[in-house]
Amino acid sequence: MMESRLAHSSNAQRGSIAAALKRAAVFSLTAAAATFTVTASLVLAPAAHAGLEEGRVKAQVCAACHGADGNSVIPGTPSLAGQPAQFLVTALFMFREGRRKNEQMTPFTAKLTNADLNDLSLFFSSQKMAPPTHKTTSERIEQGKAITKAQNCVACHTATLVGQQHIPRVASQRHEYLLSQLKQFRASTRAEFDGTMTSATQALSQEDIEVLADYLASLAVP
Amino acid sequence: MRIQSILGAAVLAALAGTALAQTAPPAPAGAPAWKQGMNPDQGQSPLHPFAPHLTGKPASEMPSVSTLKVPPGFKVEVWVDGAPEARSLALGDNGTVFVSNRNLSNIYAVVESGGKREVKTILKDLKSPNGIVFDKGTLYVAERHRITRYDGIESKLDNPGEPKIVIDNLDPNNQPGHFWKYLVMGPDGMLYFNIGNPQNISMPTYNEASIVRVDPKTGKMEDFALGVRNSVGMAFHPKTKQLWFTEHGRDWMGTDLPNDELNVVTKRGQHFGFPFCHQGDVLDPIFGVNRSCDQFTGPALKLGAHIAPLGMKFYTGKMFPKEYQGSMIIAQHGSWNRDPKHGYNLIRVTVDAKGKATKHAFLDGFLENERGDPPMWGRPVDVLQMKDGSILFSDDRNGIIYRVSYSKKAT
Repeated sequence: MMESRLAHSSNAQRGSIAAALKRAAVFSLTAAAATFTVTASLVLAPAAHAGLEEGRVKAQVCAACHGADGNSVIPGTPSLAGQPAQFLVTALFMFREGRRKNEQMTPFTAKLTNADLNDLSLFFSSQKMAPPTHKTTSERIEQGKAITKAQNCVACHTATLVGQQHIPRVASQRHEYLLSQLKQFRASTRAEFDGTMTSATQALSQEDIEVLADYLASLAVP
Repeated sequence: MRIQSILGAAVLAALAGTALAQTAPPAPAGAPAWKQGMNPDQGQSPLHPFAPHLTGKPASEMPSVSTLKVPPGFKVEVWVDGAPEARSLALGDNGTVFVSNRNLSNIYAVVESGGKREVKTILKDLKSPNGIVFDKGTLYVAERHRITRYDGIESKLDNPGEPKIVIDNLDPNNQPGHFWKYLVMGPDGMLYFNIGNPQNISMPTYNEASIVRVDPKTGKMEDFALGVRNSVGMAFHPKTKQLWFTEHGRDWMGTDLPNDELNVVTKRGQHFGFPFCHQGDVLDPIFGVNRSCDQFTGPALKLGAHIAPLGMKFYTGKMFPKEYQGSMIIAQHGSWNRDPKHGYNLIRVTVDAKGKATKHAFLDGFLENERGDPPMWGRPVDVLQMKDGSILFSDDRNGIIYRVSYSKKAT
C-alpha cells in the first residue's frame, strides 16, 4: 500500500529496520541503553523518549559510515551528532523521495518509514558532537568570519552556527562534506526547501567556498 | 557594503532570468522569493521563514488540545494525525475529506474504515498540489502548472486513474515563489484560483499577481481580480455570491507594515493595488512612487502585518451559535517577517449591514513565545465545514487536522 509509509504515529510501524537486525544485538543494546534511560527520561517527553530509544537501535546500520555516536571519521561523510532533529528528518526525507541523490543514502533510505526517519533523527540529534579535528590558520578564520557576516549565515544557522529547526549545524562539520555541499548549491544541483542556499552561494567565489569550508570545519561549538 | 552588491546582483540575476526565459535556460537562482526586496540595512536581519516537519508529527508528541483557547461552549479535538504537511481541505459527498500538500506532492483521502479514521495517499508525484475543490463527484486539483479533474473520485480512491486536464501551462516562467494555488468553485460553475507574484515585491508579468477563473467545460481562462500579490484563501459569500479572499502583503517593510488583507471583489477586473499600493493606503517605496492609492481597491479589513491569512470559509452550519451564521472563519498561518511574532490562529470576521467588517478572536494557543524561534507549535492553513456543522482545520507544520465543535452544555 502506498500510503503505509506516510502513515506514522503507530507503534506497530516503528521498527521496520529493527526487524532486519539480529535480535541478539538488539537485546544487548537495549540493556546497555537502560542506564542512559534513567537520566534521559528526566528531560524528554515520554513519546519523544520512546522514539529516541527506537532510533538508537535503528541507527546501528548508520554507524559504519557516520560513527556509532554520529561523529563521522570518514572524509566526505557528514557528522550527524547534535544536528537539529528537523534538519535530519528533512535530509533523510529528501534522500528517500529522490530529491537528493547519493549512492549510499538513496538505497539506504528507500524503505524507511516516516517513523524510522523521526526515530533516527531523535537519536542522532541527542548525541554529543565531538570537538573538531580539522585545523586551519588564524588568517583563514578571520576570512571565514567575514564571509559568514557578509552573507548573514547566522540569520538561519544561528550565532554559533549550530543550526536550528530545518537548518543544519555547519560548525565542526566534516571539511570535505562542507566543500561538496557548497559547490553543489552554487551549481544549483542541491535540493533544498526554497532556494535560500542556492541563492546565497551564487555570490561566492571558489576561494570563498574553500575558506568557508575550512573555517566552519575547524569551528568548535561552545 | 558588500551585502548591498550581493543583493543587487541577485535581483539583477532574477530580472535577467525573466527576460531571457524564452531564449535561454534559466539563469542560476536569484534571491529566493522570501529574501527578495530586503533593504540594504536588513542584510543582517535574523528573520527567516519556518518549515514544516516533512514526515508530520504524531499528535501524541504535541501539547494537549486543552492549551488551545476557544470561546465558551466550543471544543477542540484532534480529528486525525499522520497527514504530513496537511494544507487545503475539501469534503466529498460521501464524507471523504481530501487533504492537499504544498512542499510535498501528495493528495490524501481521510476515510472511516472499521470505525477508525485512516489517511490514505490517493495521488502522488504531483507538483505542489496545494489547491483542491470537490464539486458534483469530481475532485479538482490545482498544481503549480495545471488544473486537473478526477471524476467519480470517491468510488475509486484506491485507483483514481489518470486525470483529465482542465487547463495547463499556468506556470510558463517556472517562477521561484508563490506558485502554489488555492482553488474554489464559484456559484457560476467556474473554478477560481490565484496566480501569485513570483517574488516578494516585483513587477508582475504574464498573469501573475491575479485571481483568474477557468470554465472547466471549455478550459477558457479569464482575469477576475488584478493586483493581488498572493491569495491562498477564497470563499464566495453564501448570499451576495461575491468572492472574498485573503491576501498576503509584502515583506521587509517593517514589523507593522503592510497589513495582510481581507478583500471582496464587488466588480470583475478590480485592481487591488500590488505592487503599487499596499493595504489600501500605503504606497510601495519603489513601485508606488508615481502612483496614488486612490487608483486601487482597498481591503475590506486589515488583518495585521505578516500574519499570513490563508484558507477561509463562510460558516453556514447549524451547530455553532446564531451569531456565527454567515461569518467568516479564517486560518492564519502566522508571521515570520516581524518581531514579535503573531497569528498561528483562527479568527472570525463578521460584516454588518453597512458592509463594515470586524475581527473576533476564535481559536488561539499555537503561539507559545512571540520572541521564540520557532514561536509556535502549530500553523493553521485551511478550514472546512462538515455536514454536522462542526469545522475542521489543518496544521501543515505537524500534519494534524483538528475538529472544532460546539455544545451549549459544554463548559
